Amino acid sequence: MSEDATVLHASPPPMNRMVIAVLAMIGLFVALYLMAHNMGLTGPIVCGVGDCGTVQSSVYAKVGPIPVSAIGVAGYLILLYLAYLGVQPIQRESPLIGAFLFGGSLGGVTFSAYLTYLEAFVIEAWCQYCVISAVVMLLIFLASLPEVPRFIRRAS
Amino acid sequence: MSRGEKKRGSRGKGGSDMTKFGVILGVVALIGAGWLFWSVRGSVLGTPATGPLLELDLNDAEVYQELAQGITSGDPTGTIGIIEFGDYQCPGCGGFALAVKPQIDLALVQTGRAYFQFFDFPLTNMHPHAFLAARAARCAGDQDLYWEYHQELFRNQSSWSGRQSAVGAFLGYAQGLGLDQDTFEGCVKSDKYADVVTANMSLGQEAGVSGTPTIFIMVKGQGLRPVMRNDFQSIEAAIESALEDLETAGN
Repeated sequence: MSEDATVLHASPPPMNRMVIAVLAMIGLFVALYLMAHNMGLTGPIVCGVGDCGTVQSSVYAKVGPIPVSAIGVAGYLILLYLAYLGVQPIQRESPLIGAFLFGGSLGGVTFSAYLTYLEAFVIEAWCQYCVISAVVMLLIFLASLPEVPRFIRRAS
Repeated sequence: MSRGEKKRGSRGKGGSDMTKFGVILGVVALIGAGWLFWSVRGSVLGTPATGPLLELDLNDAEVYQELAQGITSGDPTGTIGIIEFGDYQCPGCGGFALAVKPQIDLALVQTGRAYFQFFDFPLTNMHPHAFLAARAARCAGDQDLYWEYHQELFRNQSSWSGRQSAVGAFLGYAQGLGLDQDTFEGCVKSDKYADVVTANMSLGQEAGVSGTPTIFIMVKGQGLRPVMRNDFQSIEAAIESALEDLETAGN
């Protein structure tokens, strides 16, 4: 094994990617729960606060034929996969994974912000699971920010 | 510290971090999976009866008349009864239950002027959850909360009506009303009351019910009189008319 490869393997796993993986796992289950609700597999969403029934039965709960929760499941799965891959020894320095993580979480947080806007001003009802998902996505986005200087540095 | 020791130290720390990371990720996955399974368990376990019992001879009047039974509020031995044939998944029945029935309860049932009786008439060809809803309400009736559950189903109709499966929602409403969960779940996930609901459907067909809600006035000794409109004023007017006829017949 070359000296460079040894150094590469020895670098510790990036903390932000580990955080993203854990957050994406949490977000994945929240989105899966909302998807199960859409499929009629759960009882009424038990809300301490808010009105999930109104939000989930609104026209905005779907994008065409696809439930928003299914989009969430797909998004969190992709982020989880990327983050998990990104902490493996051979990928720890990968700027490409960093770029995908940043880009994906930027898309996710933008979509979440739009959904939160709909809840606040159009549907005028709150679903706390959607809010949890939005907060998780925001945290993922914040955790992805350290990737920016990495892939900019590599690109230049 | 030599360069080699530094590398080993770094590798050791990296390995330790990866172990912690794996444990945390695993714990989150386990908790999430457990929570998800607990949430959907109501829908993935059990096989509730969701349609009429085919083995029941719907053409044999003796069979279904013996089985059919409405749920009554008020004194069923009274002179005047208001009979509804209804479907829990029908929006018109929802409107009737939420807007008209409270007026009937207040002005007619609680004053002793009439009793109210509900017969299930699930339109199973267009409302896939209506039969199960009728059974679920009767399961709630086993714990003396039939009418509370009846209203709860209509109040939340838009929430459960469009789902692929409504079992989870029905269990949730029972929980909200404080019903014993195991007893209720056992009842819903069986075929209990499937015969009664099927018989009620046949009785409705015999009475000429073709849509829901269909309201009749039952006059003691004189049978059923259809009410053309389902608003409170029409029902009250039909009762007045029936009482006048009774008085005239008595004279």
